[in-house]
Amino acid sequence: MNQAVISCLHANLPAVEAVLKDIELQGITNITCLGDLVGYGPQPNEVIELIRDKKIPTCQGCWDEDVVDGLDACDCSYPSQLAEKRGHFAHQWTTDKLTKENKDYLANLPYSIRKDKCLFVHGSPNSQHEYLLPDMDAFAALERVENARAEILFCGHTHQPYIRELADGSIAVKIKNAAPKDIQEKEIQLPMRRIVNAGSVGEPRHGGTKATYVVHNEVTNEVKIREVEYDLELTCKAIIDAGLPQIFAWRLKNGFEFAEQAEDASHVCER
Amino acid sequence: MIERWALVSGLKGDLDTYELIQKDLKKTPGNITLFVLGDMIGPEKNCNRLLHRLINPKSNDLQPWCIYGWWEEQILLESGYRGDQRAETLRINKGEEVVKSLTNAVDKSFLDWIAALQFGFVELDCGLIHGSSKDIGENLTLDTPPLTLLDRLTRLQVNRLFTARSKEQFHLELTEGTVNSEVEDLNGNRKKEQKVPQKAVIGIGAGKNYTLYDVGTDNTQFVQAGYKSEKRIKGFGML
Ligand SMILES: [Zn+2]
Ligand SMILES: [Zn+2]
Repeated sequence: MNQAVISCLHANLPAVEAVLKDIELQGITNITCLGDLVGYGPQPNEVIELIRDKKIPTCQGCWDEDVVDGLDACDCSYPSQLAEKRGHFAHQWTTDKLTKENKDYLANLPYSIRKDKCLFVHGSPNSQHEYLLPDMDAFAALERVENARAEILFCGHTHQPYIRELADGSIAVKIKNAAPKDIQEKEIQLPMRRIVNAGSVGEPRHGGTKATYVVHNEVTNEVKIREVEYDLELTCKAIIDAGLPQIFAWRLKNGFEFAEQAEDASHVCER
Repeated sequence: MIERWALVSGLKGDLDTYELIQKDLKKTPGNITLFVLGDMIGPEKNCNRLLHRLINPKSNDLQPWCIYGWWEEQILLESGYRGDQRAETLRINKGEEVVKSLTNAVDKSFLDWIAALQFGFVELDCGLIHGSSKDIGENLTLDTPPLTLLDRLTRLQVNRLFTARSKEQFHLELTEGTVNSEVEDLNGNRKKEQKVPQKAVIGIGAGKNYTLYDVGTDNTQFVQAGYKSEKRIKGFGML
């Protein structure tokens, strides 16, 4: 039994269509989406309607939340003032474009979806805005999965797909300042856990131009990263026609990793 | 001269206890820095005299370095210092009466001083906070999973975390930690074994129970104000 997990569609309809086609060709019907249906891209309503049409269970992404609740991310989530300005512009553009019905849909998306041992979130179990980067502190990463009571945590938000296994962990503790007769030392074994980042369908930041998503075999637990080509000229043209910042098109076309991501990606806005 | 920290919390308006601690510390050898890790106020007592004393120490008082705690957060919420939010958690859990008692216990003239307090201090490689680096209301105790403790230490990038919220006194060392990480992405596979250096979480107590920390030797002493210091006798077996 295979399930597909997609994330960060970012209003890029040709990319979403191509990925859904790729999933269909594999005979997979079980799909979960990790949010960010909108933002950056030119077809927010179309993408939302496609996902609603297909009844794909979806978590709320950072963009989905911000478009509904007003900007929540602080300035620190942008690498420069220029990037921040572009982000705010795209935010406003998207807010203006969305129909009331689609806004309501985004507003009512859940923060997380749980299926047995799998937990699906956008950023991390703590926040839609927290980045779980592939090389973040291994204990902190394990803590995110463990405290969410999951065995596999599916996330997105970084736009870089990866599969991370955290195994053979242990922590030894000792009580100082205790009476000698009491048990003072013990070693705690940590469980094996995995974090799977689905990458991004509509705004990849893995260095290439292909849309990415993941396929998880629920029986063997194997996870595969899929890369899908799509007609990016179509999206780039739509970005420019819509009057969105041209850099969004340029980025898609060149597959630049560089994007609207803070230097300290582990930073979580406390606001 | 020995460098010592005195770590106090949960005074909740109790000036008598604060004076007792100040008296203790005058007799304690070493160069002492006094940290007050929040909950200077509470709903039980009028807190104005204590707040006045903390802001205007007597000439022979040790200067207190204060941060805000859970009760300070509640009064700031309720007084509109956190935007539209109010102290709803407190209201739901303890009722309207307690919210009223809290706002009555603190004169409004102190609110700006409270609002200007920091969330915590980072001194040397130590973090001094009220709850945890995740949440001011989080209780860290001997029963908190070590993975959680490690995360709270990592968030502040410190090796020792002094916390007050649980009111308990303990000194737990994370002596060793290891985990294997394997990442697969579009560039291939990479494996890494991550280890943690020795770290510790220290519960400093509340009210009359406070902690002395010897910076040079990394030793703690759990003290009760007015009594001569004694080492706390507690292990996993008793908890
Ligand atoms: Zn995204
Ligand atoms: Zn996001």
